[in-house]
Order: sequence, then structure tokens, then C-alpha cells
Amino acid sequence: MGEYQSKQLDGVFNALCDPTRRAILARLTDTDARVTDIAADFPISLNSISKHIRMLERAGLVTRSVHGRDHLLSLNAGPLADASEWLEHYRRFWEDRLAALEKLVTSRKRKRK
Amino acid sequence: MNAAIINTPAAVVVRRTIAASAEDLFDAWLDPEALAIWMRPGSGIHNTQAKVEPRVGGRFEINMHADSGVIPHSGVYRVIDRPRRLVFTWLSPHTGEGETLVTVDFLPRDQRTEVVVTHEQLPEAKREAHNGGWTRALEKLDAFRAPSHE
Repeated sequence: MGEYQSKQLDGVFNALCDPTRRAILARLTDTDARVTDIAADFPISLNSISKHIRMLERAGLVTRSVHGRDHLLSLNAGPLADASEWLEHYRRFWEDRLAALEKLVTSRKRKRK
Repeated sequence: MNAAIINTPAAVVVRRTIAASAEDLFDAWLDPEALAIWMRPGSGIHNTQAKVEPRVGGRFEINMHADSGVIPHSGVYRVIDRPRRLVFTWLSPHTGEGETLVTVDFLPRDQRTEVVVTHEQLPEAKREAHNGGWTRALEKLDAFRAPSHE
């Protein structure tokens, strides 16, 4: 995994660790939406919503297209697949390592008895 | 897709309950000889070497020797709280240039111990906290403690 990918992954996890940003992503899975529509859905300021959206854009999870005065947001799920792959790799790695740890520590214990 | 987004966790959490004391399990994480045995993934790794500086701020290196070459893993200990909690950064070819964070909790369960590994990408804010004052504060705290586990 290269540096670029790792930094992108970092942004994805950063984006996912906030409930508002998760909710924005969930909103965009159904359909594209205007920034103003999304702002209307959340009881926080337009300024805060804009910050969350910019973070999602930096993580590559959301793309913005400008149509006249409307800024239309779309979900880009690609980076989520990278995140899932990372999680799956380490889930298997640590499951296997903990199994090996158990084998080592319990066999040592038997030898001591 | 909706569910996938909501369910994508921000960290890997793996648990295993083992019939051993928290102390024995904890020590196996900081003992280079033990690490060389249990940090040897089956597929193509024929030998693992571990070097450990078991103190807060100390480094570890776990080199897994494969046919294709050495796969280096390294990191720095952030918390060493025997036998309850171990926190360290983790850098490997799989994490790219970015450091990740591993927290290991050892929870007593009758005669057994539940080991909980939480592995997460280090968010920027947390990284600054780790590299800055927080680490230094922990180092000082550690210096105050009896060096029973070092």
C-alpha cells in the first residue's frame, strides 16, 4: 500500500468517526443532494455542515458538481472499499496472532506444572 | 450500500478469551523471545526476530522473514500499564507511511483473561496529541512508577 493510499485511508477513517458525517453519507446513498438540502436536514449551522462536507470531499467520499447556483453532492463509495479491505486484513491478522499467543502461553503454562 | 456505510467501523476490534493470567499474557507482548514465536504469520514467514525497548517512548521492531524478503513492523510504546493495558503505534508495509495505533486490553474473566485488540488509523488530532504533550506527560508518569515491569 503506497503513501497516497494510506493518507487517503486516514482521511476516510477520520471522516467516518463523526456521526454527522456518517449521516450525510447515508443521506447521499439514496440520491444526490444539494448542499442547501443537506443543511436543512441537520440542526446545525450551514457553516458547520460545509466543514463536514469539505472533509468528506477531501477523503474522496463525496464529489461536488456545480450547476448554476446549486452545488450538487454525490457519494463516491470507492474509498470505503479500501477502508473495508484494511479492516479485514488486520481483523484476520490479529485473530491469527491471538490464536498463536494462546497456543504459546497455554503450552508454557503446562510445561511449568 | 446505506448499511455498509453506517456499519463501516473506524477501527478493528478483535477479542479472544484465553485460559491464562493477565500477567502471563501481557508479558508475552513485551518479551522478544515470545514475540518471535507468536508473531510469525503462517503464510511464507519462516522466521521472526523481535527487538523491544519495553518503556513508554521505547521502540520495538518485529521483522518477519519471508521468502520474498524481510517484512518490517515497528512502533513506539505509548502506554505500558501491566497487566491491564498496552498501547503502541504500528507501522508496517500494509499501513504505508502512516502510523496506526494498537490498544491491547487485558480483562480478567474468572480464571481466564479476555484480550481485546483495537487497531485504528491514527486520526490527525490524536496523532498530534500523541506526539506532543500527552506522550511527555505519560513518560513522566511512568518515571514516577516503580519500574516493576521494565
